[in-house]
Amino acid sequence: MAKWGMVIDLDKCTGCQACTTACAMENSTLPGETWQDVLFYHEGEYPNAQMKWLPRPCMQCESPSCVHVCPTRATYKDEEAGGIVFVDWNKCIGCKYCMIACPYGVRFYVDEKPLLEPDLREIFPGENQQLWSPPYQGPDEDWSKGIGVQPPGVVSKCTFCHHKVSKAPEGTVDLDEDNPAVKEYVPACVRTCAPKARYFGDLDEPTSQVNQLIGDKHGVRLKDHTGNKPQVYYLGAGAGVPAFQPSDKGDKS
Amino acid sequence: MKIFQAMMSRRRFLQASGTAGAVGATAAGITGLTGLTQAKEARASRPRGETKITKNICHQCPARCGIDVYTTDGRVHAIYGDTGNPIANGKLCPKGHLGSYFLYDPDRFKGPMKRTNPNKGRNEDPGFVPISWDEAFDTIAARLNNLRERGESHRFAHFYGRGWGASDAGLYGDFGKLYGTPNAAIGHASMCAEGSKRAKRATDGNDSYNSHDLRKTNYLLIMGASFLEAFRPYNNMMQMWGEMRSKSPKTRVTTVDVRMNPTMAASDRALYIKPATDGAFALAVAHVILTEGLWERDFVGDFTNGRNQFEAGKTLSKDAFNEKWVHGLIDWWNEELKDRTPEWAEQITTIAAKDIRQTAIEFGSTRPAMAIFERGPTGHTNGTYNGMAIHSLNALVGSLFAEGGLGYQMGPAYGALPVNSDDYLDDYARNGAWKNQPRIDMARTERWPMTSHMMQEAGPNHLKGDPYKMDTAMFYSTNPIWTAPNPKAWEEALKDVFIIDTSPFPGETAMFADIVLPESTYLERLQDSPTYPFEGWPMTALRVPAIDPIYDTKHFGDMLIEIGKRINGPTGEFYKKLDNIENVLRHRAAGFANAPGDNGVNDFESWKEKGVWYRKPYHWRQIRGEFYEWEGESYSKRMTPAEVKEKLLRTPSGKFEFKSGFLEQHADYINREMGIPKERVGYVQWVEPKHTGGNRDLYFVTPKTPMHAEGRGANIPHAISIHQPIAGGRDTVYLEVNPETAKARGIRNGDRVRITSDLGSIEAECRYVAAHRPDTLVLPFEFGHWAQGRWAKDRGPGHSGEITANVSDPISGLASYYTGKVSLERA
Ligand code: SF4
Ligand code: SF4
Ligand code: SF4
Repeated sequence: MAKWGMVIDLDKCTGCQACTTACAMENSTLPGETWQDVLFYHEGEYPNAQMKWLPRPCMQCESPSCVHVCPTRATYKDEEAGGIVFVDWNKCIGCKYCMIACPYGVRFYVDEKPLLEPDLREIFPGENQQLWSPPYQGPDEDWSKGIGVQPPGVVSKCTFCHHKVSKAPEGTVDLDEDNPAVKEYVPACVRTCAPKARYFGDLDEPTSQVNQLIGDKHGVRLKDHTGNKPQVYYLGAGAGVPAFQPSDKGDKS
Repeated sequence: MKIFQAMMSRRRFLQASGTAGAVGATAAGITGLTGLTQAKEARASRPRGETKITKNICHQCPARCGIDVYTTDGRVHAIYGDTGNPIANGKLCPKGHLGSYFLYDPDRFKGPMKRTNPNKGRNEDPGFVPISWDEAFDTIAARLNNLRERGESHRFAHFYGRGWGASDAGLYGDFGKLYGTPNAAIGHASMCAEGSKRAKRATDGNDSYNSHDLRKTNYLLIMGASFLEAFRPYNNMMQMWGEMRSKSPKTRVTTVDVRMNPTMAASDRALYIKPATDGAFALAVAHVILTEGLWERDFVGDFTNGRNQFEAGKTLSKDAFNEKWVHGLIDWWNEELKDRTPEWAEQITTIAAKDIRQTAIEFGSTRPAMAIFERGPTGHTNGTYNGMAIHSLNALVGSLFAEGGLGYQMGPAYGALPVNSDDYLDDYARNGAWKNQPRIDMARTERWPMTSHMMQEAGPNHLKGDPYKMDTAMFYSTNPIWTAPNPKAWEEALKDVFIIDTSPFPGETAMFADIVLPESTYLERLQDSPTYPFEGWPMTALRVPAIDPIYDTKHFGDMLIEIGKRINGPTGEFYKKLDNIENVLRHRAAGFANAPGDNGVNDFESWKEKGVWYRKPYHWRQIRGEFYEWEGESYSKRMTPAEVKEKLLRTPSGKFEFKSGFLEQHADYINREMGIPKERVGYVQWVEPKHTGGNRDLYFVTPKTPMHAEGRGANIPHAISIHQPIAGGRDTVYLEVNPETAKARGIRNGDRVRITSDLGSIEAECRYVAAHRPDTLVLPFEFGHWAQGRWAKDRGPGHSGEITANVSDPISGLASYYTGKVSLERA
C-alpha cells in the first residue's frame, strides 16, 4: 500500500484559495468548515512590509496527536488507506479532545453558532440523519471514514479526498492531475491548483514526484518539534509557518 | 464569543504559530461530551449513482474558463476545470468551484413576475406576483409596439454587462436596427476597464485589451493590474505564474501598486505608488530606457549616426533619428520626455528615483519584457494618458506582436445567421424619427466623442430629461442601480421608467422592476462565448446545460427572440426565422466545417461534446523589427507597411504613436475638457489627476479580491466566508487602514469608522494593516447591498459606490472609481 503524501510549494502558491473552495465543494462542508484553509500573515510596515500565506490541509501525521487522545478510537490512522487519519462518525462522540490535541488546528466541530447568518443548516435542514442536506452535496458517503455530510455532534476533517484517491489504479505512484488517466483520483485541492503548487503521491516510493521534490527542494514539515511527523511537506525559500503576526489578530472576540 | 468552534481552532493555530506550540486549555467552546446522548445508525460506504459530465463556461469573471460540470442523480455537485480547454487546462480559480451554490441559491427568482406596487424605492416591497411567460412577453411587446407607433422607439433602452453569451449579445445590434432604437445596447464597458482599451487605441490603434504570450516572457512590469487577484484570464494568469516563476531563467516581476496585495507580495520588487500617478512613473522609465540606450533598435529605429544622443533636458533634431515602427519619438522627447527624469517622477509618485532607475534598467535590458496595466492607473481622470505612458514601454522594448510579448485577440470562424436583418427593415427602421436621436448615455456624441459606452450617464441623463426620458429599459447581467458611481442618482432615475430585469438573482435593479424575466443560471444554459483576449489565436467555448432549468427560467437570448417575434411588421418575421438560440448557435457552428478546431471540433455536435473550438497559432509575429504572417508552417510571409497598418498597427501613421493621431483628431474636445494645449494633446504625457470627493486627506481605493464574482458572489455564503482573507474578513469586509493613519484619528483596531466624501458617508469596521500606504484607505469591493438575497442584504460595510462621484476620464469615459478622496473618523 502506498503512503500518501502531499507537497505544497510556497514559492509558486499565489494564495488564491481555490484549494479551499474546491475542498468545500468536493466534501460538502459548511462555510468556515475549512478542512483546507489558507492562512495570511503580514509583517513590517509600509514601505518595507511583507505579506505571506500558508495553505493548510490536515497533515495526516505519522504520529497523530489527535489519535492518541481520542477516547472512543473514532479517530484513527488507516495504514491500509495510505496512512490517512480518519474520523469514524459512527463512533465519534464530539468530545473535541482531538481538536485541542492537534497542533495544526485542522479539525472542525460545526454544530454551534454558524460563521454566517442566515444559517445554511436551517435552509437545507438535515435529512437521513445528516447535520444538513444541501442540494449540491456530493454523491460519496462513508461515515466510517468521515466522508460525506456528517451527522450532528461529530468532528470533521480533511480525508485526503480518500473517496477519490482510493479509486486510483493499484500501484499508482504520482497522482498528477495533468495525467488524464488519473486526474479523477487526485485530491480536489491538488487537482485545481492553477500554478501547480501542490503535488500528491506515494511517499514510500523513492522515485515519486513528491519524494523527488522533497529531496531536490529541501521539503520541510511544519512544527517538526511536536514529533507529529506530517505527511504534508512544504517547499520554498521561507517554508515553514511564517513567524508573523496573524492577520486577524485584531478580532475582538 | 462571536465566532464558532471551527474559527477558534483556526485562531488557535495562528496564535500557536507565534508562540511555539502554546497549545492547551485556552481553546474555548469546550462544552463537555455533547455527542454522548445521540444514537445514530452506523453507516458505511454507500453506492453512488451514475455521474454525468457536461461542458460549460464559468460565468464569474471575464476569463470564461471551460468547466466540467459533474451531475449525479440530477444534482450538480462538482465543477472542475476542463482539461481540454486551453484557458482552464483542468484548473480553476477559487470562484470557479462556487457554481453549484449559484445554481441552488435559495433566493433565486423562480419564474416570471410582475410588480403590483407602483411605488419604487429601497424600502418599497415590489409586490411581485407570478405571471406566465406569454403574459410577460405580450406585456413588453405591447409597450414596445406602442412606442414604435408613436415614433418614440428610441425611448426603449437595453443595458448589458457581463453576459458573454456572445451570440445573444450579437442579437442586440439587430434588435436596435430593426425595432428602431439607438440604445440597443448600452454596455457596461465604461464602468469596467475601458481606459486600457482607449490607451491602446490612441497609441497602437487597437481598441482592445491585449493578448499576452506570458509563457515566453522574461520580465513583467505589472502596474495596478492585480495580476494574482483580478487580471484576466485570472485562472490562466496563475498557471502562467507557476510557469514563469519556475522556468529558467525565472521571469522577473516588478509590481507597482497603491496597496499591499498578493501580487506585490509575490513579486521580486514591490513599489508603492501614490494613486493616479502611474503615468509619471512610466514616463521616467521611458526616459531612462532612452538615456541609457536600452530601446529596441530593430523596432524603434536608431540615430542616423548610431550614437545615443538622448540626454536629460537636451532637445534633439528630428533628422537625427530614423524611426522604424514608431511615430513622433523625437517630438515626444523634446516636448515631454526629456524632463521626465526619475528625480522628477519621485516627487510625483513617491517612488524613490533609484528604484525607478533600477526598474527601467532591468526592464530595458531584459527581452522579452512586457508592461501590463489595468484599472489602477486608468480609473482616474488622467487614466488614458497614464495607460498610454505604460503601453509606450512595450513599444520601446519592441514587445508588440513579438514572442513573449503582446498581441490582440482574433475572432472565431463563425457561420452567418440564418437570416440577415438588412432584409427585414421597414420604412420606420430605415428612416424613422429615431434615426436622429442620440443614445441616452450620449456616448459617441459630442459630449463623449471618444467613448463606446457611457452607462453611468444614462441614469443621470434620464433624471435631467437630457437628451430625453426613457420609457422602458431592459437589463441583462448588469445592476447599475447598485454598481454605478453615485448609485442613488439611479434610484431616483429609475422610479418612472418601466423596468425589465433578467437576472436570476434578486438584485437592486430587480427591486425596481415592473417585470422580472428570470434567466437560467449558467449551468442551465446553452450559450456560446468567444474568448476574451488571451493568447491571440481564435477560440470560442460553449455552455451545455448540465440539467434542465430547476425553476421556470429561460435563457436571455430566447427572451429577446420571443419579444422580437411579437414586434409588429418585419421585425417579428425576422425573429420568427431566427426562432431560438439553439438555431442561432447551430448556424454559428456551421462556420467550423471549413475551419475545424485543433481538437477536431467541426460542427455543433462536436462543439457540444468538447465544449470549445480553437485554432492555433496566432497569425502574426514581429521578429526583430519585421512583421510576418503565418503561412501554415511558419511565420514566413513578410508583411508590407500597408498590411501592418491595416491589420496590426491601426493608427493614422501605421506605426506606434508617441504622438497620437487619434487624440489629435479630438484636440478641441481634449483642450476644452482637460485644458491641455491643442498642439500637445497627442503626446504621451503626464497630466495631473483631478481627484473627487472634495478637499480631503486620504485616497480611497476599492479593489477586487480573487473571490469577487463580479457582484454575484455577495449572496454566496461559501464566498463570503473567505472573501477577505488578507485582513481576516470571514463574514464581512474590513476597511484596511495603516495604523498610523488610524491612531492619528483616535481609531483603534476593530473600531467602527465613518468614511466621508462630498457625496456622504459610509461606515465600516477598521482593521490595521501596516503594510498599506498611510495616505490610502483600502476597502475591498463586494458588500453593502440593500438587496441581492438574504446573505447579501445589509451585510458588511457601507457601499463604496455611495461615496464615489460620477466623474469619468473625458477620453475613455471610464468611471473614475479609484480616484476619490475621503476623510476618516470614528463612528
Ligand atoms: S490553490 Fe494552489 S495557489 Fe491557490 S492557494 Fe491553494 S495552494 Fe496556493
Ligand atoms: S494535523 Fe491534526 S488532525 Fe491531522 S493527523 Fe495531525 S494531529 Fe491529527
Ligand atoms: S478565472 Fe474567472 S472564469 Fe475562470 S474559474 Fe475563475 S472566475 Fe471562473
